Amino acid sequence: MRWGFLLNIVGLLLVCIGLTMLLPLGWALYYQDESRLPLIVSLAATVAAGGLMYGLTRNQDYSGAISHREGMAITALGWLATCIFGALPFYFGGVFPSPIDCLFESFSGFTTTGASVFTDVEIVPKGLLFWRSLTHWLGGMGIIVLSLAILPFLGIGGMQLYKAEVPGPVVDKLRPRIKDTAIILWQVYILFSAAETALLMLGGMDLFEALCHTFGTMATGGFSTKNASIAYYASAYIDGVITLFMVIAGINFTLHFQLLRGRPLIMWRDPEFRFYLGLFLGFSLIISLSVYRTAYDSLGGSLQYAAFQVASILTTTGYATADYELWPPLAQCILVLCMFIGGCAGSTGGGIKCMRLLLLIKQAYQELFRLIHPRAVIRLKLGEQVVSPEVMSSIWGFFLLWLGLFFISVFVVAATGVDVLTSFSSVLACIGNIGPGLGGVGPTDNYALIPPLAKGVLMLCMLLGRLEIFAVIILLVPEFYRK
Amino acid sequence: MRIVIVGAGEVGFHIAQRLVLEKKEVVVIDKDETAIARLMERLDVQTMQGSGASPKILLAAGIREAQILLAVTDNDEANLIACIFANLLAPKLQKIVRLRNEDYHEYQDALAKDILDVSLVANPDYEVIQTLLRLIETPDVEEISDFAGGQIRLVRKKLADASPLNGLQLLNLPRIFQDTRIVIGAIIRNEQLIIPKGDDRLQGGDNLYFVCEKNDLRKIIGLFGEKIHPVKNILIVGGGKIGYRLAQTLDRLHYHTKVVEKDPVRSGYLSTRLHRTIVLQGDGTDVELLEQENIRSMDMVIAMTGDEELNILSCLLAKRLGAPKTVVRINKFAYMSLVKTIGIDYIVSTRMAAVNSILRFIRQGKIISTVAIAGEEAEVLEAVAQDNSAIVGAPLKKLKFPKAAIILCIIRGEEVIIPTGESIIQPRDHLVIMATRATILQVEESLRVKINRKNSLSLPGLPKVTWERS
Repeated sequence: MRWGFLLNIVGLLLVCIGLTMLLPLGWALYYQDESRLPLIVSLAATVAAGGLMYGLTRNQDYSGAISHREGMAITALGWLATCIFGALPFYFGGVFPSPIDCLFESFSGFTTTGASVFTDVEIVPKGLLFWRSLTHWLGGMGIIVLSLAILPFLGIGGMQLYKAEVPGPVVDKLRPRIKDTAIILWQVYILFSAAETALLMLGGMDLFEALCHTFGTMATGGFSTKNASIAYYASAYIDGVITLFMVIAGINFTLHFQLLRGRPLIMWRDPEFRFYLGLFLGFSLIISLSVYRTAYDSLGGSLQYAAFQVASILTTTGYATADYELWPPLAQCILVLCMFIGGCAGSTGGGIKCMRLLLLIKQAYQELFRLIHPRAVIRLKLGEQVVSPEVMSSIWGFFLLWLGLFFISVFVVAATGVDVLTSFSSVLACIGNIGPGLGGVGPTDNYALIPPLAKGVLMLCMLLGRLEIFAVIILLVPEFYRK
Repeated sequence: MRIVIVGAGEVGFHIAQRLVLEKKEVVVIDKDETAIARLMERLDVQTMQGSGASPKILLAAGIREAQILLAVTDNDEANLIACIFANLLAPKLQKIVRLRNEDYHEYQDALAKDILDVSLVANPDYEVIQTLLRLIETPDVEEISDFAGGQIRLVRKKLADASPLNGLQLLNLPRIFQDTRIVIGAIIRNEQLIIPKGDDRLQGGDNLYFVCEKNDLRKIIGLFGEKIHPVKNILIVGGGKIGYRLAQTLDRLHYHTKVVEKDPVRSGYLSTRLHRTIVLQGDGTDVELLEQENIRSMDMVIAMTGDEELNILSCLLAKRLGAPKTVVRINKFAYMSLVKTIGIDYIVSTRMAAVNSILRFIRQGKIISTVAIAGEEAEVLEAVAQDNSAIVGAPLKKLKFPKAAIILCIIRGEEVIIPTGESIIQPRDHLVIMATRATILQVEESLRVKINRKNSLSLPGLPKVTWERS
């Protein structure tokens, strides 16, 4: 393990992150608000810290590719550093009483969770609001994928970094070179973001709000610039646009690329895509029927609110147009199930991911099939592709670790005195990168009242969820540091 | 440029590794899942699991967008079929096929031109034999390669502590060598590659890479303070495909050759086909046999069996029994650095030869020939200066050339010029350039930019370089 090398790359990453603060600074200057100075100070501090880290470790030996474990360490440390320095604008802006709240907001932003500690966002300076939404957008496609696209030297061994950040059990390379793959992913991401921004502006939002909500949607984040979230707009058009783009953001971006290349069949035939779309449509329908006449009078209205909420929770975005805690129990249960599932592999969504769930279901069925045909030769397949036993065992490993960490976190949060429903759902909402949960952290509440220790645990959960456990947890294993 | 490689074995891996460094888009196809996983882990390439002979896989690998297909699996037939389908799917593609079976050798040209439309048939056995012949001709150096059609030789020579050159400053070289021209392009000292400057001193134990004229080589070795040991008696261990071809060539050149072959049937075959060569039936590690055949009086022992561990053992044994020079044929690249340290004098590798000849082909159009030195850390290239090249018309010292690259010599017609800072390159000169791996791209890239400029804008006083297709 070459620690100097690791710090060098993380330093460079911080410089990039620092420079992205120029964007909110632009808005702060435009609106002439009080976030100008905090943003300038944060930008300078982040760039200086990154530059210092880079400068001090410059003369290290960088020959040789990035190894597997170095890739994971760079990703985990890079994210940690980014989330910590991303909290500086909130800290210098003085919007929170305690530093832990600043960190919480930053972690929640970069990991695209969207859990907020702001009790009133509408009084927050525009520059800070924009930064808050921008952290979503950067974290959504991933800061590592971004640096792979723009930094020239990460090509060799870049695959290790890419694997550590991109969600899903198996990762695809779209082009022979990792850099080109990363560029394509960001291009697709930017294209969809531009389209959504334009559509939202047609619906009456100004550019600032359209951009902030686009960042929240495409990254499946969930930060809004309004206290009432999307419900503020009370517009079927805006609900529709955001529902559509949430669903899009939950699909594997590799498939979007194929679609844009004029190969829609590849997307249509993808088993995970079908499973995901089936879940979305099925759950929307069941919930519509469940809330029809119990919560809403018109069938159209029930469908609108149900589809929005399913998309929001299934893709782990966390926007709200309705208080689903007032819905019938069946609807609530389905939403909780959605919190576990999450988006597709290779999307910006969190959760366990459709692909893993689909494969686990298939394997369960395979065991039954084997009982009926004891001598059958069976290969687990996804579409026509055989899934290797190694991939299956890594999925099992992930699933068990996920559940284990989930329960441990619930216990710790509960130990701080938070009630059962709130501890359960807040951990679920954070490890799944969703945002709103049930009880004390429901769609109309926020995380301000959670005790500081619990906030720390939830922040860790967010990072675990975003980097899919392994890259973070491996840093805690002693074996990792052995030579 | 996209290059599709069929076969992720040693040859495929090493070609892919070099191409990635040169910023090419590489897609590698192989059946073997572990080979693919290893490649994916270590190189920035796209991989595809499946048979390269399958049109479906070739299409999935993007054969239609590719410029070059390399069929380099260990299976000749699979390579040929991959080329057939490549022809069908992407007729304009350049194809390079690796063939190992001797039976195909005769039909190489017909295969290449008439049947498959293949651009190059890599037959590394031939090149290995050429390398061996050069070594046999001049055994007192570590490595030799040819440039300018054999006029110029690139030589690696280890400097003995007792050599009169030990401690000499490079700028004083002409005093010793007088009118014999020599350029030291690189020094390997403690496994570090150094591109030397005039005030650097030579040290005992250095490995020197130098270029000189073919005819001067013996004289130069004399000036290194060493006796020349002409090779006359050669023992070849292993009478397989390549051992047989080597024996056949040596037979024709009137060397005293003995071949040791284990298999009685093969020995019979060898003795009917070889006329002057003595064929011995036995094991290359059989001490009794080696002593009986007076191994001490052999000038060189060449172990050519397909089993590299056996080759190494035979040579170690021969060395212990008094053989002065030993050559080992090796396939695993990982063994190469190891073998030198245990006292074996030379290594040849058909796989390495295949890698080199294929890379040379890919660069064609820019560079005539290349040789990788110091474990691929640097390369020596041969290229032609065009009429309006950037390097033409000004003294070398005024040129902007990467620091880690040097022009070793200029070949003008029959004349060979070892350049000084004052030398001026003329159009049509052949140049031999040495560049470290990091600067190869810089050298090539800066040249490529100038090619484009030739078509777009031409400013007076802005010289240009292009490389010529050989």
